[in-house]
Amino acid sequence: MTKLLATTALASLMATSAFATELTVGAANVSSYLDPGRDHSNVGSQFYYNAFDTLIAKNHDTTETEWQPGLATEWKLIEPTIMELKLREGVKFHNGADMTADDVVFSLNRMYQADFPPYQVRARDRLENFEKAEKVDDHTVRIHAKRPEPLWETLLNLQQVMIIPEDYTKSLAGDPDKLEHDDFEAFSLKPVGTGPYKVAEFVPGQTVVWERFDDFWGEKAPLDKVTVKHIPETASRITALKTGEADIVTNIAPDQLQLIENDPDMKAVGSATALFHVMIMNVNHPKLKDARIRQALSLAIDRDTLNEALWGGKAVVPSTHTLKEFGELYQPELTTFEYNPEKAKELLKEAGYDGFEITYDTAPGYYTNGLLAAQAIMEMWAEVGINGKVNVQDKWSGNSPDMMTRNWSNPMYFADPFGCFGVMWAPNGPSESEGRFNTDEDYAKSWEQFRYSGDIELRRAAYAELMERIKQDPPMLPLYRPYESWAMKTNVNWAPKPGHIPYVLDFRAGSISFN
Amino acid sequence: MLTYVLRTLLRMAITLFLIVTLVFFATRLSGNPVDFVLGEGITKEDRDLLIAYYGLDSSIGTQYLRYLSSVFSGEFGLSFLERRPVSEIVLERAWPSLKLLLSAVCFTLVVSIPLGILAAIYRTSIIGSVVMVVAFLGYAVPSFIIGILLVLIFAYTLNWLPVIGDGTALHFIMPTLAISGMLVAAITRFTRNAMLDVLSQDYMRTARAKGLPEWIVILKHGLRNASITLLSVVGLQIAALAASGSVVVEAIFAWPGIGDLLVRSAILRDYPVLQFGVLSVAVAVIVINAVVDIAYAFADPRIRLAKG
Repeated sequence: MTKLLATTALASLMATSAFATELTVGAANVSSYLDPGRDHSNVGSQFYYNAFDTLIAKNHDTTETEWQPGLATEWKLIEPTIMELKLREGVKFHNGADMTADDVVFSLNRMYQADFPPYQVRARDRLENFEKAEKVDDHTVRIHAKRPEPLWETLLNLQQVMIIPEDYTKSLAGDPDKLEHDDFEAFSLKPVGTGPYKVAEFVPGQTVVWERFDDFWGEKAPLDKVTVKHIPETASRITALKTGEADIVTNIAPDQLQLIENDPDMKAVGSATALFHVMIMNVNHPKLKDARIRQALSLAIDRDTLNEALWGGKAVVPSTHTLKEFGELYQPELTTFEYNPEKAKELLKEAGYDGFEITYDTAPGYYTNGLLAAQAIMEMWAEVGINGKVNVQDKWSGNSPDMMTRNWSNPMYFADPFGCFGVMWAPNGPSESEGRFNTDEDYAKSWEQFRYSGDIELRRAAYAELMERIKQDPPMLPLYRPYESWAMKTNVNWAPKPGHIPYVLDFRAGSISFN
Repeated sequence: MLTYVLRTLLRMAITLFLIVTLVFFATRLSGNPVDFVLGEGITKEDRDLLIAYYGLDSSIGTQYLRYLSSVFSGEFGLSFLERRPVSEIVLERAWPSLKLLLSAVCFTLVVSIPLGILAAIYRTSIIGSVVMVVAFLGYAVPSFIIGILLVLIFAYTLNWLPVIGDGTALHFIMPTLAISGMLVAAITRFTRNAMLDVLSQDYMRTARAKGLPEWIVILKHGLRNASITLLSVVGLQIAALAASGSVVVEAIFAWPGIGDLLVRSAILRDYPVLQFGVLSVAVAVIVINAVVDIAYAFADPRIRLAKG
């Protein structure tokens, strides 16, 4: 008996000291809610991949498109608009329930047939083509699209269609057998998924704690526990690394990198984030109706200098609205945007620009370097004779008819031009519906081909046509892909993977190790 | 006495009503939550859909009346973003802030009253001057500068103290020092001045003439009388600190308090949280003032009798 006790004590000692791996992350922002369906914010994107799975998974080690089995093991088109998927068997949710076809149908239809406004809003731009999901048997589902869909895998790999449990969700609020809006609201405070970590604790805006989920269907999580704490101040985040209170910290400003690189206890990793900071121009503002004036506003901006001065040259300045994450649809050979101050001057002269004031709206701190870039742009405009003025305000002005120009961002919500340019600049999309961008039949036709053609070459050609339209009558200018950094203790090996959407904190097997 | 209490209560009610109204309209002027986090990259129609979902589509007058009637029935609503009662959210955050405030007040009283007495007794010597210079510095340097300096020295360089959160007693040291700086400076100066007033009074001479030891003269006859002035000053300072002082310090030390909550709710336009948060702080300030009033009465029999 004594021997048994001693062995048990020894075993538990070893389990806690030798094998326990815990990690603390200091994050600049922590979400107010955790529901992958309703969220597409940069803050939220950090938190879903560890705890939730999609039907179709993706190799995130590369920017090439490589689909892998996820919660579905096989999928095939049985009709041009119907995909049949075989579900993985033996998958458990964090609450212990088995994942069945019912859960999958429930999760998909909560988006495809949404009547909960936060889901409706999120589904509209990217899932419009999906009619419904239906159960065939316990491990087979069919998904019906309205018309043939060239992006099946891409759109089944979205954060918004991660799988959640049906019975658990329904039981949360009100009648346990009925689905109410409050069930979804309650879910977002007590999220349950199938991923390698379960959300063990969530204090909105403050803390997310993940613990290893031992019944995970795939390779087990490498960490026992990860605690993400909200540390709003950059200086405090760096200090927390130094004192050992954090192992990894997020959102390190470019001007702090030197400090970290000079310290033997810390290191930084970074990447040019898959999103563009853009300048938007209101094509319907009475004074900006002449495309030549907007072309001049764009041609006058020396984006390479902005990159050097504000990002230490680490941001990426694009020639067109394209990202290398788009795989076969990456088209860096197009030149839609360039710096040409002489041409800007000519165009202004032709358009008869008389020196009227052009405002550029920016929030004081929403985008990293946003205000500094705005001020530098005013100087560049002045060089070609444009009378610009920065207008600092907190409020979103993109829907105001008085807005002339302002900054904005175009994130890559999924790895296809449809998931970046497509979300923001579709016919009747956000930009057009806010009244600062117009499309016509020709644009819509090119758009159709770009969105729905099954032929990659035709999609590329259509995208080039759209970019030419943007060039001729510019509603925006992508400034750069900002450079985002994470800092960590020297013994931690972690880096954002190139195949993810921006900001994902990926601690799955193979994503993190220690020296 | 009853009319006095009733009048005080009425005044409190009017103050709270004004605060509720002011916060309601001030937040609405600055845009709505859909314009910020919730609305990036969505169409105008979808924006309207969300605005309606959060009940922000009716006229501002209707919203105000609806809000007032719910406040009177004790309902403060749900957070837009977290969808749980704002009272729950604010209470969760109030306790860490209160702990920090109490810690700062205790520290301040323990440090600044002896310092003030010292400065008064040795007003002509170097000790008095040094105390006053230090007090002046404490008053002039903002709390976030003190906070960042402390972090730089004791956490970043020496690695003696933790910098994040409120987990252990050690976590309290730096934030307490940071928010106490101004308070210590103010109370030290007021203690000195109050003591100086008292020290020159006739009863002090009488006390000494009776042959009492000097420390009894100072503490019993001097401090007791000086405390009347001090009480109201301490009360005002604490109230000011509760209302505003800790927002920046909470950000530096990632303190899970109400200051951090208010800043976040303001940025995200989470009106229900902001409204209830500001209201709670206002109630706290009013309560502190009331407590000081009562304590004042106890310290000075003349007030107690006059108000009776």
